[in-house]
Amino acid sequence: MKTARWKKALGWIGLYALWIFLTLFTVLPIYWMFVVSSRSRVQLFDAPTLLIRSFYVQNYTGPLSDPVFQRYLWNSLYTAVGNALLVTILALFATYALSRWRLPGADNIFFWTITNRMAPPAAFLLPIFLLYTQVFKIGDWSLFDTQLGLILLYCVFNLPFAIWLMKGIMDGIPIELDEAASVDGAGQWTILWRVIVPLAAPGLAITFILSLIFAWNEYLFAATLTSVNARTITTGLAEFVTVTGTNWGQMAAVATISILPALVFLIFVQRYIVTGLTFGAVKE
Amino acid sequence: MTEAKPIQAPVEHKGRRGFLPIETNTFDRVFISVVIWIGASLLWMRFIEPLGLSVWICTVLCIILGVWIVKKG
Amino acid sequence: MRSNRLGWTLLTPSLVVLGIVGFLPFLFVVWVGFHDWNIFAATRGMIWTGANNYRRLVFDQEFLDALWRTLAYTVTVVVIELSLGFLLAQTLTRQFPGRAFFRTIYVLPLVVAPIAVGATWRLMVIPGFGPIPYFLERWFGIEYRIGTYASHAWATAVLMDVWHWTPFVTLTLLAGLTAIPKEPLEQAMVDGANRWQVFRHLTIPMMMPVILTVVFIRMMDALRVVDEVYMLTNGGPGTATTFIGLHIFRVVFPKTDYGYGSAMSLLVLYFTIVLCWLLFVALSNVGKQKA
Repeated sequence: MKTARWKKALGWIGLYALWIFLTLFTVLPIYWMFVVSSRSRVQLFDAPTLLIRSFYVQNYTGPLSDPVFQRYLWNSLYTAVGNALLVTILALFATYALSRWRLPGADNIFFWTITNRMAPPAAFLLPIFLLYTQVFKIGDWSLFDTQLGLILLYCVFNLPFAIWLMKGIMDGIPIELDEAASVDGAGQWTILWRVIVPLAAPGLAITFILSLIFAWNEYLFAATLTSVNARTITTGLAEFVTVTGTNWGQMAAVATISILPALVFLIFVQRYIVTGLTFGAVKE
Repeated sequence: MTEAKPIQAPVEHKGRRGFLPIETNTFDRVFISVVIWIGASLLWMRFIEPLGLSVWICTVLCIILGVWIVKKG
Repeated sequence: MRSNRLGWTLLTPSLVVLGIVGFLPFLFVVWVGFHDWNIFAATRGMIWTGANNYRRLVFDQEFLDALWRTLAYTVTVVVIELSLGFLLAQTLTRQFPGRAFFRTIYVLPLVVAPIAVGATWRLMVIPGFGPIPYFLERWFGIEYRIGTYASHAWATAVLMDVWHWTPFVTLTLLAGLTAIPKEPLEQAMVDGANRWQVFRHLTIPMMMPVILTVVFIRMMDALRVVDEVYMLTNGGPGTATTFIGLHIFRVVFPKTDYGYGSAMSLLVLYFTIVLCWLLFVALSNVGKQKA
C-alpha cells in the first residue's frame, strides 16, 4: 500500500514539474525579449543574466517619439480595427443568411469560403500586388499603400474564419425566437438587430477580437503592399533587423509593444482562441 | 460544454461509388482529373519532354483518363 | 416562406469581398502564369508563352529544393507537435489545482504575432548574448551558431514552431479527449486490456477526426510559414531555411519577373491544395464511418 501511495505522490510531483517547466519554457522567450528591451547596447554584452537590474527607457521612448513609428502604430490600429469591424459585420450578415434561409447552393458557398483561408499567402503576394498596383486604380489613386487596401485584403483570411465561427453560434440561436418575433409583427431587420445581435453578442465580440489580433499580427501582405503611408508595426519590426541591424534593444522594445494588444486581449479570448483557430470545430 | 467535431463540408454529399476508393460526385471527379492532369504535365515536362515527346501527348492521355474518371469513377 | 432575396442580399457583401481579394487574384495568377511579363524589361507588356514558365520551373533546382525543404519541415513539426500535444493533453484531462493558470499561460504564444515570435527566438539564439548559445557553450561546450550551421538554424526553426503551436495542438486534442465517451474505455480496462491496447484500439480511432482536423490546420499553416523564419534566419545560412513562401517573398518577388513568379505561386497553391484535399478526403471518410 505504501508503494502505491508513493507512486501517486510521484505522479503529482511529475505532473507539476512538467507544467512548471512548460510554463517557464512558454514564458522565457517573451520574458527574455522584455529583458533585452530593458538594456542598453553595452549592457547586453555583459555577462548574461535573466534579471532586470536597471531599465533603459530610451529603447521605448526612442521609437515612441519617432513620428514614423507613431504612424506605423496608428496604421496598425486603424487597419486592425477597420478589418475586425468589417469582418464582424459581414460575417454577421452572411451567417444569418446561411443559417436562416435555405438558399440553393449555399452549403457549397459556405464550404468555398474556407478555401480562401487555406491558400498560402505567398502564392497570393504577386497577383494581389499586381492587382493593387496595376488594376485597381482610378487615375493616380490605387489600392497600393492604403489602409483600405489592407483592410480589404485581410478579409481573405479573417472572413472565412469569422463565417465558420459565427455559423456555429447562429445555428445555436433557436429559430423559434425569430418566428415568435415575426408573429409579433417584426420585420427581418428588426429581428436581426433586436433578437439575433443581442443573443450573438458574445460570439460577435470573440470574432471581433480574434480578427483584430490576426489583422494586427499580419506581416507578409503589409510588407509587400505598402511602401510609406500604410506601413504597419509588424513591418516596422522587420525593418529593425534589415536596416539598423544591431540595435537589438530597440527591436525588442518594438516587439514588446507590438505584442501588447494581443496580451491585453488574451485574458478575454483565452477560452475561445482554440475554438477560433479550429474554425469553430472544437468548442470548450 | 466540450464539443469536438471534424472540419468537414456540411454539404450532403450525394456521391456514388465507382472504381475510385471514395464516394465522389461529378465535381469531385472533375477536380481529381484536373489535379492529375496538372501533376502529369509537370512530370512530363521534367522527364519525358527532354526526350522529344511533346507535352500535348500527355494532355491527350490525361483528357482520355479524365473522361474515363468522370464517367466511371 | 421568407423570400430568398433578402438572404442573398445579406450574403452578397461577403461574397463580393472574398471574390475581389480571394477569387479574382486566383484567376489573375493563372492568367499571368502563362505569360512573360517583366515591367522593367524592354517589352513591358504581357507576352503569351504557353507553358514555358512551368518548363523553367520543373528544372529550377532552387525552387524544387525549397519545396522539399518545406515538406520536410512541415512533416517534422507536425509529427513533433502531435506527439507532444497528445502527451500533454493526457496530463490535462484530470482536474488539478493550478490547471487553469497553466492553461492561460500556455496559450500565450498563440496570440503573439508570428513576426514577433521570430524576433523573440532570434533574441534567444543570438551569439553573444542569447541565453541558448551561452548555456549550451558553457555547459556542453557546443558552439551554437544559427548563422553558420545549417542544422542549428533548422533546429531553432523547428523549436520555434513547436513553441508557437504545440499549445494549439494540445488544447484541441484535449477538447477531443474530453468529448469522447468514457464507458468503452473503462469497459475495456475491466475486460483486461492494458493501457496501451486501450489507447491504440479505442482512444486513437475515436480521436481520429480531431487528430486529422489538427493535422489539417497545422499542415496548412506550416506549409505557408514565412514571417517567423524570415525574422529568425532570413532563410539562411545559405538556403538552409528558405522555405517556399520565403523563397517567393525574398527571391522571386523582388525580381519583377511576374510571369515566372505567378507560375511558381500557382504551383505552390497546387501542392497545398493537393495535400489539403487528400487530408480532407481522409477527414470526411473518417467522419462518415463514425456516423
